Amino acid sequence: MVLEATMICIDNSEWMRNGDYAPSRFQAQTDAVNLICGAKTQSNPENTVGVMTMAGKGVRVLVTPTSDLGKILACMHGLEVGAEANLAAAIQVAQLALKHRQNKRQQQRIIAFIGSPVKYDKKVLETIGKKLKKNNVALDIVDFGESDDEKPEKLEALIAAVNSSDSSHIVHVPPGDNALSDVLLSTPIFTGEEGGSGFAASAAAAAATGASGFEFGVDPNVDPELALSPAALSMEEERGKARGYCKKGCRRYF
Amino acid sequence: MDAASTAAAAAALATPAPAPAATVQVPRGQVDLIDFIDWTGVECLNQDSSHSIVNALKQSLRDDEGLYLASDSDEQLLIYIPFMQVVKLHSALFKGPEEEGPKTVKLFSNKEHMGFSNVNDYPPSDTLELSSNHLIDNKPLPLKYVKFQNVRSLTIFIEDNQSGSDVSKIHKIALYGTTVDTTNMKDLKKIEEH
Repeated sequence: MVLEATMICIDNSEWMRNGDYAPSRFQAQTDAVNLICGAKTQSNPENTVGVMTMAGKGVRVLVTPTSDLGKILACMHGLEVGAEANLAAAIQVAQLALKHRQNKRQQQRIIAFIGSPVKYDKKVLETIGKKLKKNNVALDIVDFGESDDEKPEKLEALIAAVNSSDSSHIVHVPPGDNALSDVLLSTPIFTGEEGGSGFAASAAAAAATGASGFEFGVDPNVDPELALSPAALSMEEERGKARGYCKKGCRRYF
Repeated sequence: MDAASTAAAAAALATPAPAPAATVQVPRGQVDLIDFIDWTGVECLNQDSSHSIVNALKQSLRDDEGLYLASDSDEQLLIYIPFMQVVKLHSALFKGPEEEGPKTVKLFSNKEHMGFSNVNDYPPSDTLELSSNHLIDNKPLPLKYVKFQNVRSLTIFIEDNQSGSDVSKIHKIALYGTTVDTTNMKDLKKIEEH
């Protein structure tokens, strides 16, 4: 329930056309972003989330930090893929957007999806990291898509420079069967520091057992409550809680 | 003669011995503003999480030489102290180690939520250039009183330290002044007497 203002940096560069994450890197990324926005606004109603692009028409803020989930989801429509991602500029702009947040009591966080190769060297990234730490901004990185030899190392160095008492995290997601959002559900990016909201936990349980082939896709031993209650699920759906989750959940259960 | 000499001796005894290192010479008419600090709003940018701002500000922690405020990524610190009521600031005391103690200190009155990027955009209400003597002395340094007549919050920017090292350390920060409200009450009482 940490009070947080988050800026999500989306990588919509040419590298996102690749299909190694189903259906395409960009689509997988969008799903993950939707899920994160939902989780953040759920965990604390005063949380705000903003979204910006790192490539495409350039580094631009699509929506400034707001707690209105509808506005956030709407701005992601019609995003075009193209050009090269500019990580350094994007982080600067994200910092600025967070600096001018309305509620100064919120902790500042940037979540960056980095799918293209990182052209900066370690030193530059470490300087960026130190500047973020100095201004008390936490950084989460989702490393997916292109993976050259040095990319994981460089990004780990960036996180090490920003990290202060375990507030910043990095997740490496290799291409494969699991959807990007499913992999992220069990990471600290989603669950935050205190171990996560009920939303994230139930979504994670469902995702983990999705491929197991049980009726309704839920293993009764793992999660008896979830197995017993499609009713509970539809209640959640009704309350509008599990929007992004139901997109996948519904396919499995009905 | 005897009386005179005993009187002189008595006078010599009566003059206070040099103040021990622990007591600060609080300026006349001023109080330590620690009681008026709004602790919920105190913030410090670029502090090392294990050596935080409370070590320099809070009553028992600030007098403990082993506890200090240290900077993290580089030597600069930005401390924001809101007060529970409007105060007038008279003087400030900074104590720190001779090497890593603060050197250039800029004070801003009533500027909310500054960041390192805009700290040089505004002229400071006052600037203190501390020497290593100031850091071990117990004398608070007077500020430009006229600039601090109506202080709701104070921002302290530690720009650099004595030795130019990467980490700045501060043992104690104490602020002295008067509250605006208290002064007004006294004025009212005087009027009633006449």
